[in-house]
Amino acid sequence: MHMADALLAPAVAATMYVASGTVTGMSVHKLKKDEDTQKLPAMAVTAALVFAGQMINYTIPGTGSSGHMCGGLMLSALLGPQAGFLSMVVILTIQCLFFADGGLMALGANCWNMAFYGCFVGYYLIWRPIMRSSWFGSLEPRAAARMRIIAASVIGCVVTLQLGAFSVVVETSLSGITELPFGAFCALMQPIHLAIGLVEGLITSAVLVFVFESRPELLQDANCEAKGITGRRSLKTTVIVIAVAAAAAGGVLSLFASPNPDGLEWALFGNSEAGYSENMALDEDNFGIRSGAADAAASVQEKTAFLPDYAFSNSESAAGTTVSGLLGSAIVAGVAVGICVLGGFFRKKNRSA
Amino acid sequence: MERIDHAASELREMDDLVAMASPVHSLHPLAKLITTIAYIFLTVSFGKYDLSGLIVMVLYPVLMFELSGVSVKTCFYKLRVVLPLVCAVGLFNPFFDRAPLLYLGSAAVSGGVVSMVTLMLKGVFCLMASFILVASTSLDAICAALRKLHVPNMLVTLLLLTYRYISVMIDEVSVMTTAYKLRAPGQKGIHCSAWGSFLGQLLLRSMDRAEELYSSMQLRGFCGEFRYADVKPANAKDYVFTLALLLALILCRYYNIAEIFGTIAFGGAA
Amino acid sequence: MIRFEHVSFEYEKGKKVLDDLSFTICDGESVGLIGANGTGKSTLMKVLLGLLPYTGTIYVDGSAVNKHNLKDVRRKLGFVLQNSDNQMFMPTVYEDIMFAPMNYGMSREEAEVKTDRVLERLGLTDLKYRHNHRISGGEKRMAAIATILAMDPDVLLMDEPTSALDPYNRRIVINTINALPNTKVITSHDLDMILDTCRRVLLLSNGRIVADGEASTVLRDKPLLEAHRMELPLCFAGREQ
Repeated sequence: MHMADALLAPAVAATMYVASGTVTGMSVHKLKKDEDTQKLPAMAVTAALVFAGQMINYTIPGTGSSGHMCGGLMLSALLGPQAGFLSMVVILTIQCLFFADGGLMALGANCWNMAFYGCFVGYYLIWRPIMRSSWFGSLEPRAAARMRIIAASVIGCVVTLQLGAFSVVVETSLSGITELPFGAFCALMQPIHLAIGLVEGLITSAVLVFVFESRPELLQDANCEAKGITGRRSLKTTVIVIAVAAAAAGGVLSLFASPNPDGLEWALFGNSEAGYSENMALDEDNFGIRSGAADAAASVQEKTAFLPDYAFSNSESAAGTTVSGLLGSAIVAGVAVGICVLGGFFRKKNRSA
Repeated sequence: MERIDHAASELREMDDLVAMASPVHSLHPLAKLITTIAYIFLTVSFGKYDLSGLIVMVLYPVLMFELSGVSVKTCFYKLRVVLPLVCAVGLFNPFFDRAPLLYLGSAAVSGGVVSMVTLMLKGVFCLMASFILVASTSLDAICAALRKLHVPNMLVTLLLLTYRYISVMIDEVSVMTTAYKLRAPGQKGIHCSAWGSFLGQLLLRSMDRAEELYSSMQLRGFCGEFRYADVKPANAKDYVFTLALLLALILCRYYNIAEIFGTIAFGGAA
Repeated sequence: MIRFEHVSFEYEKGKKVLDDLSFTICDGESVGLIGANGTGKSTLMKVLLGLLPYTGTIYVDGSAVNKHNLKDVRRKLGFVLQNSDNQMFMPTVYEDIMFAPMNYGMSREEAEVKTDRVLERLGLTDLKYRHNHRISGGEKRMAAIATILAMDPDVLLMDEPTSALDPYNRRIVINTINALPNTKVITSHDLDMILDTCRRVLLLSNGRIVADGEASTVLRDKPLLEAHRMELPLCFAGREQ
């Protein structure tokens, strides 16, 4: 889900930087206020662990394929949402710097998509309510807690990954990078991340259950019974919270969703026999990419665009200057080659000197 | 499984690159950070059909790679992780945007093709730029630059500590996966029944490690605030480099240099 | 000078790890702390450093250790951890050594001079700019000792300083320890090393001190050692056969 720089317009990237930066600042402030300096090594070590954990492949039974974890919810469950968020930010920064996983400018967006949802939404709306709820109350306390951990992990990972994937779609569309209709893009991203979320949820729950069995004091909100906070939220309230969250997400989704969701298929297959010129004659409406989403995206983009000429360029002028553009590009390429040759020459000279 | 050892060797490679000496390596980290961010920002801000304008941006990474002596090959190897999503998004453009944008002789090139190529080039250019930054600047130096930009101390410290412990963790995970593999021949990954205990064990051990680490810090006088060995102050060379590059980049962004070159060359020929 | 008076510690109620310990370590002494696994050697170190809550009183340089003077006390005690990876958390050796002096209010320049001096003293000048994750186990152990020496501690506490080292590096560490004038408290199962570095030995068993005396005497006492799950040092064992 790591986005590259090229997928974002500067305005969108900057907005996401501001958003993630604010959350980071608030988290740092909160941790400082709590004087949680002894958390620092724990954060660093668990972050390093999640990083290393991402390198392990897990076999998914029955499919022969494998997945790996991403970690936001797990870090929150172990360290608390603020510390978890900062750890994720650090992981993403290192991935972007040293492994080219996601771009430097897209870092803000990546932090939002992968860390914010997993850590804050996942923790406050899913992990904590479920852990404090009386779900599985009919079982004996330990077993109930275990089931709650599994439920919270799986639901949390699936929901937060869906939100993350959805954000990728929104950000890319707002950036005006792709011609892919919004709905089709969603249809592409969401199901994949549903599967990924399930796997992630299973891994997260397996790890957290193990921690719960051996060192329950390490888990946030796992010992509610001992502390007597049980039942502050009943099953009903939890369900309501999740339902409201889902409805809100769905509402936003439907606002954007294309009225012509099969636009992709239509464009890819239904249209393949049609002649090229015929296609050209089709106006945007029939072409299937016009949608509420595209319009909204376009208008937002017009307002937010970093440079006024950013949107669709006028093809005439582009075509008119093509030849000199091509020639110029060739010259640039020549200069680039020249730099390389010169560099090689000087290095050789240095070596012989 | 080999992914782990792979990651470890990739980190080692970066260390080796950073340890090289070159004019680029000796620049102030903040200067490099600012120019890199400016470069990426300006590069992605090119219009989606503005291929000819974008082309000139190739000069910056090429120049930096040449000056630093870092091989471009190592960088392109990293593209494998970046390009898939960019391609996934860009590849659809030719299907949706079929209006011919320019003609090469009699062949029409559609807007979708141009925007796809532009998108991919942007991805490659940005990657090259950020790669040259980390290949010529150590993480400590980048962190010092971040401190100069008033990024919270806690975050910077966390970054350094995490980076330090990634190599320790990778060693540990690598030992454990080897031990697992030796007793479970023919498995592709770690079976689901062992997921929890595998990572969980590692996690518990890490927590103990974190505790010991913290006491080790405390015993050496740590009281919440990291003090850094700062980088050397910026000199005139750094200022000149930053200003000149920013100016050049902005010129490249607002004037289509390639086209101007082309027009001049045309004029000369005519 | 370090004095323990009736110091006890328990992780769980009723399971005493340290049981009413009383002893004195004088300035300039080097003391080996030996005992089987789980007899409380490391716990004793941690208690002394104020990392674990205990009952009884510990005196360092005449004053009882409490919450208020803990920081000053810790400054006098340098603790070399068994696992150097947990000790060295900064990216490079150089920064790791700078860490303590700078925390104790030294300026950058002073700390740098200090670092160079320590590295030179231990013959580690080559390591200065190396990365902590890229030096060998032996180098790491020496660097860990350097990070502690940079604090100028009065007392050096070392937990298994020669564990997992090859004979060559072990010898280097032993020579380094012997060359240091500080008061030293060393825990180890490597009794030959204890014999080489310490004049006095404390033998711990079940949280109590069962022997306290000259290293050459205690470590020769085969029945005593075997009664507490230990063996004669190799050099004596060899002579016996």
